[in-house]
Parts: sequence; structure tokens; C-alpha cells
Amino acid sequence: MEEEIIKNNYTDAQKSRIFDQEFMPHINAMYNFAYRLTLDRDDAKDLLQDTYLKAYRFIDSFQEGTNAKAWLFRILKNSFINDYRKKSKEPAKVDYQEVETYYNSEDVDRQITPDLRVESLSNMIGDEISNALNALDVDFRTVIILCDLEGFKYEEMAKILDIPIGTVRSRLHRARNLLKEKLSEYAKSMGYKTA
Amino acid sequence: MNDPSKMKHDCSNQKECLQLLQAILDGEATQAQKEHFMKEHLDSCMPCYQNYHLEVAIRDLLKKKCTREAPQELIESIKKQIEQNLRA
Repeated sequence: MEEEIIKNNYTDAQKSRIFDQEFMPHINAMYNFAYRLTLDRDDAKDLLQDTYLKAYRFIDSFQEGTNAKAWLFRILKNSFINDYRKKSKEPAKVDYQEVETYYNSEDVDRQITPDLRVESLSNMIGDEISNALNALDVDFRTVIILCDLEGFKYEEMAKILDIPIGTVRSRLHRARNLLKEKLSEYAKSMGYKTA
Repeated sequence: MNDPSKMKHDCSNQKECLQLLQAILDGEATQAQKEHFMKEHLDSCMPCYQNYHLEVAIRDLLKKKCTREAPQELIESIKKQIEQNLRA
């Protein structure tokens, strides 16, 4: 997914304006993404800071009028993979292909019956959903954040994650099934009937 | 909502329907798909009707519970570093 990079030659005043008006408005969404990826407040701070400094350093390759949020999210995701994923508390590198194959198997769909009810969700007033989301494998967590929290389109997600659009669609579908599975475990443990 | 007693309780395409309704909620379905599903299928199929409301409820809950704001001092520190960069 190589894109042609047009180098601009912004003046300091332009850089400053782009940074303030195009980049800073996304800082809360970016922080949340950093936190959900690292699951650690200090790492999230460092990751956010690194990402914004990188964004500034590479500002000449940002095209004004294009989607700044997607551009920033992509930098953050790449920084996370390159600098944080190795040292994070995530379990030792999972063979992603294996995970994807497993979750794409028909078995998983058969197991996942919609036994979760809207009423049991309305009782989840604490951290249940946040914990359920955090418990997902980082690749599944990521697509839910990008789509359901940040409202990115599949095509934008494909660019942010450097994966084909078909993979975005199937990964998202698996991720939502897994999230429902976690939520229904919570619902059961809370004593609500799920079916 | 239509009379539940008149709705079917099994959906022969549940997997496909779930994928379609997610695409609709994601704003990725065509107008025709959307109209057919929302106007015709949803009113007559109980599992899909329930799935639809569950998907909506999960998204609402995610938005309500899974966002957080950047600490103010972190924002200030980033701004300061950029200003220093500009002056350098």
C-alpha cells in the first residue's frame, strides 16, 4: 500500500498552524488509542509524545486537506509496533497467521451464539466493557477502536493498518464476536440470564 | 416493532445477516442493502432484530465507557516541545 509521498515545504508559520489546527484536535482520541494499545498509562504517554514529535518531524509529507486523523493514527500504530510491542506486557509474539486462521474457522462461528442480551448490557455500568475490550488480542482490539470508537471507514482502516480491506472486514467481524463472548461471560458471572 | 408473534424465530442466513447489519451500522452497506434489510428483514426476523439492537447497544457502551482524555500536563508538554522545535 505504498502511497506517493509529496514533499511540501511548509514555512514555520504553516507548520505551527497545521500542528495546532489539524493535529492537536485529535489528541484525546490519539491518547485513548495509545492507552488501549499499550494498556499502560506511562507507555501511553511516551507513545503519544513520540508520535506527535514524529508527526511534526514529518509534517512536510502531510498533505493539507487530507485526513489528518488517519495520518496520525497510522504513525501511532507504526510506532507502537516498532518501539513498544516488543517490550510491552503482551504475551510473547503470537503467530498472527495462526490466530487469524483459528478465528476464521467455522467452529468459532458455531460456538458464538447470540446469547447476550441488551438488558444485561445495560447493567454493565462499571468497567466490564473496558476490561472485555482490553482482554482481546491487540489486533482485534485495534479494529474495534478504529471502527466503533473512532468511526474510521474500512478503507481508512486498511491504510492505517496496512492490510487489505477484506482482512479489515473479517477481522472486525471476529473481533466483535470475541467481544460478545467476553461480555456474555461477564453477564453470566453477574448472574444475569443470557439466553 | 411488529407483532413479535408474527416474527420468525429462526434465521436461515444468520451469519450473513450479522455481517450485513454490521456493514450497515459501519456505514459501509449500499442503500439497497440497507433498505431491504432495515425495512423488510428486520421487522420479520426475531434473531436479526435482537442482533441489531445488541450491536447498537455494544457500540453505545463502547463509546460511553472506553474513551479517555489525554492528561492536561501531557498536552502542555507536547506543545512546549513543538514550540522549542520551531525556535531551534
